[in-house]
Amino acid sequence: MTSWIVFRREIAQFLTTPFAYVIGAAVLLLTGILFNRDLNISFSTKPADPALVPGILSFAMVFFAPLLTMRMFAEEQREGTMELLLTAPVRELSIVLGKFLGAWAYFTLLLLLTGVYQVILLSITAPDLGHALSAYIGIWLYGGATLTVGMVFSALTENQIVAAFLGMVALMLLWLADQAGQLFSNIDVAIIFRTMSLQGHFSTSFASGLMRAEDVAFFAGIIAVMLFITAQILESQRWHG
Amino acid sequence: MTKAMIEVTRLTKRFGDRIAVDHVSFLAKPGEVVGLLGPNGAGKTTTMRMLTGFLPPSEGGAKIAGHDIAADSLNARRNVGYLPERVPVYPDMTVREYVFFWARLRGQRDARARADAVIAQVNLSERRDTLIRNLSKGMRQRLGFAQALVHDPPVLILDEPTIGIDPRQVIEVRDTVRELGRTKTVLFSTHILSEAEHTCDRVIILHQGRIVAQGQPSDLKRKLRPDATLEEVFLSIVGAERGADK
Amino acid sequence: MKRTDSASIIIRRRALGVLGNILGVAGVVIGVIGLIWTGAPGSTVIAAFVVGIGGILLWAVATPQEFAGFFSGRQVRFGTMAIISTILLIGIVALVYLQLLRAAWTFDATQATRYTLSPETERVLSRLSSPMRIIGFYSSRALTTREIDDQFFRLYETATNGLISREYIDPDEQPAIARRYGVQYDGQVFLANVRDDGTVDLATLARVPRGGAQERDITEAIARQLIAGRLTIYFDIGLGERGPLDATQEGVSAVFSGVQESGINARTLDLAQIAAQGGEIPADASAVLFIRPLRDLTDNEIQTVARYLEAGGALLLLTDVLFSEQPFLSERGAFNQFLLENYGIGALDAAVVDPGLSAQTLLDVISAYVFAESDIAARLDPAVNPTLFSVARAVDVKLSETPPNIATGRVIFTTEQAYGETNLTLLGETNTYQYDEGVDLPGPLTTAAWSTNIQTGAKIVLIGDGDFVANGRIVTTDGAVTVPGNGILFTDSVVWLTELSEEIDFQPQMYGQALPLIFVSQQQMDIIAFITVIFMPAAVLLIGIGIWMRRSRR
Ligand SMILES: Nc1ncnc2c1ncn2[C@@H]1O[C@H](COP(=O)(O)OP(=O)(O)OP(=O)(O)O)[C@@H](O)[C@H]1O
Ligand SMILES: [Mg+2]
Repeated sequence: MTSWIVFRREIAQFLTTPFAYVIGAAVLLLTGILFNRDLNISFSTKPADPALVPGILSFAMVFFAPLLTMRMFAEEQREGTMELLLTAPVRELSIVLGKFLGAWAYFTLLLLLTGVYQVILLSITAPDLGHALSAYIGIWLYGGATLTVGMVFSALTENQIVAAFLGMVALMLLWLADQAGQLFSNIDVAIIFRTMSLQGHFSTSFASGLMRAEDVAFFAGIIAVMLFITAQILESQRWHG
Repeated sequence: MTKAMIEVTRLTKRFGDRIAVDHVSFLAKPGEVVGLLGPNGAGKTTTMRMLTGFLPPSEGGAKIAGHDIAADSLNARRNVGYLPERVPVYPDMTVREYVFFWARLRGQRDARARADAVIAQVNLSERRDTLIRNLSKGMRQRLGFAQALVHDPPVLILDEPTIGIDPRQVIEVRDTVRELGRTKTVLFSTHILSEAEHTCDRVIILHQGRIVAQGQPSDLKRKLRPDATLEEVFLSIVGAERGADK
Repeated sequence: MKRTDSASIIIRRRALGVLGNILGVAGVVIGVIGLIWTGAPGSTVIAAFVVGIGGILLWAVATPQEFAGFFSGRQVRFGTMAIISTILLIGIVALVYLQLLRAAWTFDATQATRYTLSPETERVLSRLSSPMRIIGFYSSRALTTREIDDQFFRLYETATNGLISREYIDPDEQPAIARRYGVQYDGQVFLANVRDDGTVDLATLARVPRGGAQERDITEAIARQLIAGRLTIYFDIGLGERGPLDATQEGVSAVFSGVQESGINARTLDLAQIAAQGGEIPADASAVLFIRPLRDLTDNEIQTVARYLEAGGALLLLTDVLFSEQPFLSERGAFNQFLLENYGIGALDAAVVDPGLSAQTLLDVISAYVFAESDIAARLDPAVNPTLFSVARAVDVKLSETPPNIATGRVIFTTEQAYGETNLTLLGETNTYQYDEGVDLPGPLTTAAWSTNIQTGAKIVLIGDGDFVANGRIVTTDGAVTVPGNGILFTDSVVWLTELSEEIDFQPQMYGQALPLIFVSQQQMDIIAFITVIFMPAAVLLIGIGIWMRRSRR
């Protein structure tokens, strides 16, 4: 319930400040350009790639997710509203959950906007909609997970730039981890890294039209653990002043 | 004797080696306005932060309306309205959205009506659709009051509510505090002594984290000299302390 | 000085306590997960528990009050609780993840059902009764390939309830095993039967040739494994045939190794020698193949073959138009007469000329019509997979008045315009042919036929072309299939003869086969580019600026 209230404030914040629109326009511009490029390349030679836009977003989120979350706690700290939030009869986890849901809802809206590409494809050809849906569900969960990683760093530091930078570094590592095999000759180590990677649970499954329960569990697990850690960080800040 | 709304026992806060609040104990009853006095760094804000549940105490404890601030934190918090030293606002929200948000978050049922009521109470009705970023400092202070009052808490904790506003508004704030003090327990901090003298039923003087004197302003004055001002009382205590410390 | 000393010691103890706390909880959690995952306390699990207990001891020794406080339920330092609860949460998430990984619940969202086993595969899997294992050799560099392959391999494991299992070996880590398997490249996959004790039976090890379509590769391999060793086919070499190891264009080495690769034992046999020694065709011969023998059979040899057929044997006879004395299956020869009398089929001394349907010359006869009701021709749709016989020999089938217990049938037919040139001498010497009324055989003509004895189970397929499965006809040097129909005719003849009615061959699922290509006009393209690159981002930006300007004026 309190999460819902925080969520409403959070999504209102996204929708009433220009920042979110600038990010949204940037994402649409990027996906739009790449969509047209792919259309030109595949023209009369191959079927439409239903996972194109989710695939682009899977990389773009490495940079956009920290931008979306960097202000989340830093701004509350700066304005002092964190003190009010933490003295309201609300648990840290509810606050964190509400904020996450707000950012995730914003991301969902953005995803829905990119649905225009599917509509365009539908009007000119017959794309594999099941495959597209799988990729979209995948990037939806994936995006949620990247947002929670960004949130951890936003809670860790009051400096937005530092929060965004650290978030990007962390996500970049998580993104690249599926290539660990090129680095480590021990396959078990490589598998563990790949298992921890974002790509490892998206590119070969969701994005290829295959939905696997363990991938859903992975993203849901990342979301749960990261939100929990974020709440713990907020709580720890009380203790350290 | 009516039950104490604020019950502080040996409340202590350490930041590393430094003791910010040192075994502070006091009571505050309903309908009582208690002033927390002390120079900068005395530990006023830290005490209030512990009472509102923002900081956990290092030692000792406190009860708000009978709820322990550590063991039953959520219920204790439910009974407190808190106005921090620097009014915390969301600059991109309107007055109404802001008050409404806090009303809902603190579990107020008829949040919208309640928000409008407190906005009227603090004379911001005309500005209720204004973005907070466009409010003057005094208005923000009043908005802070609205936020603290919106869930009609029995205990109000106000951290230097008169700082940085013009004299006319200072008087308004004092009137408001006295008004609220009729029904609620108000704990408010200041280092302006005349303010405490006019508004408080009782003052607690903190120095270096410890209570160095407490009582009705008139009693405290009488102890020193029948016609002494609170200013003089304060300086005599603090001065003595300072001399003793060094 | 003393004060700072003791303070640093306290900090060090606290740090030790936190370290012990983390190690302890993490060790125990990892140990528990390992135990649940493997089901038995292996060395890793024990090591995790040892680390965990060591960590807890360290915690207890370094910060005894806090340790006692935790267990007596008193308030603990925030950090301790946070660490323990975070590690526990991670542990629970890991456990759920691993269980789901094992359960392998998947949902195939693709239109072409790419991640669902096809009916062909399910038919093959339904015949599976003993455990098999897919063994893949992937190094860490091929991890992504392994992940992609595994998505298919695990479908087999779930579909067979674990009868088919998966095992992955890193050839870099275990070069000895890789050598034992004969691993040639990173990402190579093998299939083998599993013994009762759960180990791989290396004697049944088979390479899985990789063609890019995982399901097809594995299903074919399993189908081959299922028939492996049960059947033996003999290639005769005693009548002047080209040996099965002849890898030239005219040889049949491709077919020979193809048969072997399908899991059938392929051997050679010398009929002349057996007959001369008064021996018998081996009883384990599921079929004997006579691929373009040069001479006809002697009486002795005919007796040997007759006895084999009596016992339910099967023959594949590939005969050409030959211009020599006493050619194989000469129309009036003893063997041909034997076949006609006892099995109702035989060869004719006539070369097929088909003006109706042929390739380069009229002698390159393309199958015009097939009798799909026979198993042999079921997949030989002339419109899709025609056969091509270069210089075909006409075949005679008795469709009525067949000998007792004999059933016969045609497989391939020519057009109406075809005729059988009987002047083979002229044809052989001058390569000329012409229809002579009353002398040449009028079309349509049969070029392939079958016969079976319902009582004994004897089976014969007679095909009027000796080299339609020669290497040059089956595959080009770069491995591409030249005339698919010829391969299918051979395969399905063997399948029918050996009563291997299940399909060995497997039709691949092609990705994107159901998905149309994109065709758009330049004008449409421009509109799309405008909408996606200019209109949408600009609209979002303008809406944002609009909302912000309106609000900020408040
Ligand atoms: N988070 C913190 N970490 C370390 N020390 C702190 C922290 N917060 C407060 N202190 C210290 O505790 C002491 C009490 O500070 P506090 O803010 O309570 O004083 P105050 O009475 O409110 O002063 P002021 O009148 O200036 O507001 C000060 O010495 C301050 O430096
Ligand atoms: Mg203060």
